[in-house]
Amino acid sequence: MLRGMEQSPHILVIDDDRDIRELLGRFLEKHQIRVTAVRDAKEARRAWINGHYQLVVLDLMLPGESGLDLARWLRTQTDVPIVMLTAMGEETDRIIGLELGADDYVPKPFNPRELLARIRAVLRRAGDQDDHRHDPAARAYRFGGWSLEPARRRLLNPDSVEVPLTGGEYDLLVALVERANRVLTRDMLLDLLRGRQAGPFDRAIDVAISRLRRKLEDDGRNAQLIKTVRGGGYVLAATVERA
Amino acid sequence: MIVRLWPRSLAARTALVLLLGLALVQVAGLTIHALDRVDVQRLAQARDVALRVVGLYRTVVALPVSEREAMLADLHRGPGISAEVSPRPPASDLPEMPPFLARLFRVNMNLVPIGGQPYRWQELHLFGGPDWHRIDVGLKTPDGEWLNVRIAVEPPRPWHSPGFLMAFLVMTAAAAGLILWAVRRLTAPVAILAAAAEALGRDVNAPPLPEDGPTEVATAAAAFNTMASRIRRFVQDRTELLTAIGHDLRTPITRLKLRAEFIDDEEQRAKIMADLEELEAMVSATLAFGRDVRSGEPVTSVDLVELLRTVLDEAGDARPEAAEALAYDGPAHLTVRVRSLSLKRALSNLIGNAVAYGGAARVRLLPPVDGMLTIEIEDDGPGIPPEELDRVFEPFHRGEPSRNRETGGMGLGLPIARNIMRAHGGDVALANRPQGGVKVTVTLPG
Repeated sequence: MLRGMEQSPHILVIDDDRDIRELLGRFLEKHQIRVTAVRDAKEARRAWINGHYQLVVLDLMLPGESGLDLARWLRTQTDVPIVMLTAMGEETDRIIGLELGADDYVPKPFNPRELLARIRAVLRRAGDQDDHRHDPAARAYRFGGWSLEPARRRLLNPDSVEVPLTGGEYDLLVALVERANRVLTRDMLLDLLRGRQAGPFDRAIDVAISRLRRKLEDDGRNAQLIKTVRGGGYVLAATVERA
Repeated sequence: MIVRLWPRSLAARTALVLLLGLALVQVAGLTIHALDRVDVQRLAQARDVALRVVGLYRTVVALPVSEREAMLADLHRGPGISAEVSPRPPASDLPEMPPFLARLFRVNMNLVPIGGQPYRWQELHLFGGPDWHRIDVGLKTPDGEWLNVRIAVEPPRPWHSPGFLMAFLVMTAAAAGLILWAVRRLTAPVAILAAAAEALGRDVNAPPLPEDGPTEVATAAAAFNTMASRIRRFVQDRTELLTAIGHDLRTPITRLKLRAEFIDDEEQRAKIMADLEELEAMVSATLAFGRDVRSGEPVTSVDLVELLRTVLDEAGDARPEAAEALAYDGPAHLTVRVRSLSLKRALSNLIGNAVAYGGAARVRLLPPVDGMLTIEIEDDGPGIPPEELDRVFEPFHRGEPSRNRETGGMGLGLPIARNIMRAHGGDVALANRPQGGVKVTVTLPG
């Protein structure tokens, strides 16, 4: 199931700062991820053509050709998952990047462990969904009247009113929605929240699920949308449309 | 006392000076008028006295000396007049009449016909002092006898005219009204200038003053606008500088965070990471402060209640020890049209402050009244000294330093929150609760 992590994955890192490239390479390799790091779009293309990568970590602030242009080019080549490094607070870059089909973003300055968690989550999702990942750039997931927009990281209720989510709640909901009608074990969910949440993780899952249910107006005792599976897991019981 | 009589406002001072000046001019003018009246009155009295005295003289002088006394006694002389024939000039208790007045009487008496040169008086003595209530006249007949007449005169009363006081009052009142109106009009731009300076102090982007009106006012307004735009430029430069520093700091912070991962001492690593998170929070606050809220983020419909709950949940997650003191009270759903990320940041700052300084955040959402909804956030902290209540909204202003060291504030949370709320057409205000702690009142069009 976790095919992406079985053989050590190879990722391409594009960042213009030499120290960051080197440090990130060492850090990820310490965690069993092979890294090729390049400094700009030109080198990235060359590396892309000559290698085989399971994921791209792309800094949007690149000298010369912009990271967004490179992401656009990558999308014409492949479905490879992209994790963007965005400048803190630059909402437009992030939204355009996610709309272009990037899979996730981490604002810079990032916490390395959070980046690692995101890389692993995206790798797992990609490995997990090889069978129906032909259209990676989902603009929205619709289920039971609700709409989840990854590009803006937001949830809209049936009246198209945004219902704010915390980062952890959002990640959790994305995981549930992408694997609708499949049971997600607590361990998988814990992995998702790691690097995000402080405090005891297992309680964090229950808290986040109960908050999500409240926000989705799903009665906790008789949940219809996010169901508790005996033996420690949750499932989103709904038909999800990708738009 | 003098201080109290001298008013504080420019308009009142100007009006007072003008009124005093005007009153002075009026008094002077009316005095001249009154003195004129005295002259006219004296002329009339001189004529009257001349007529009556010379009339008596004419009657008496034509008679033989022996009959004069009886004639005088018989004569109907009118009130206020007494006359006697005497061998001597009048022995008056009055001083001799001053020459300018005496001349007036002589001239008038000479004008009254007496029936030929032989009857003309030989000498004329006039007595009557400055107090002017009686005149004593002595006329020496050609035969050497004196006709001494004592005649009462009305003292001149220069101020005694029925219309006088009324005229003075009406003129003064009219002038005062006119002066007050004109002075108010003329000093109004000063008040406008003061209001503009006050507004500039609160918001550097306050609209410019209209540069019209009298030349001096227009010049002052133009100078003020120039100054305001220079201040704006200065603030903008400083903000841009900060933003640039913030942007540049991101790369070294990223490097440090990566380097920290290679530190084997887990405790030190965690501490370094905590320091870096704090540094990052400062950079993030600086960047948020430098960013224009109005640009960038679109306005969308958001469930404000869920937004508040989410912010409270995040505050509770960040400080589990305070989670019990976080509460929401209000409707279950309320949709507003806002920039949701900005609004969330503003509310996070306010609720975060309440938790950090007040150990609690009780949030109450009040439904819209007249199109404005209210969010109240109460804490249980020590409150804010009253003189600090408005200063805490100044960028980089920090309260008690020791508290801030613990919480790592940059002094930007409140200014950012206020900027965001104002960009939404709302506002943020702080007040100390009578029971202790701070109450934050957020208003928002809803």
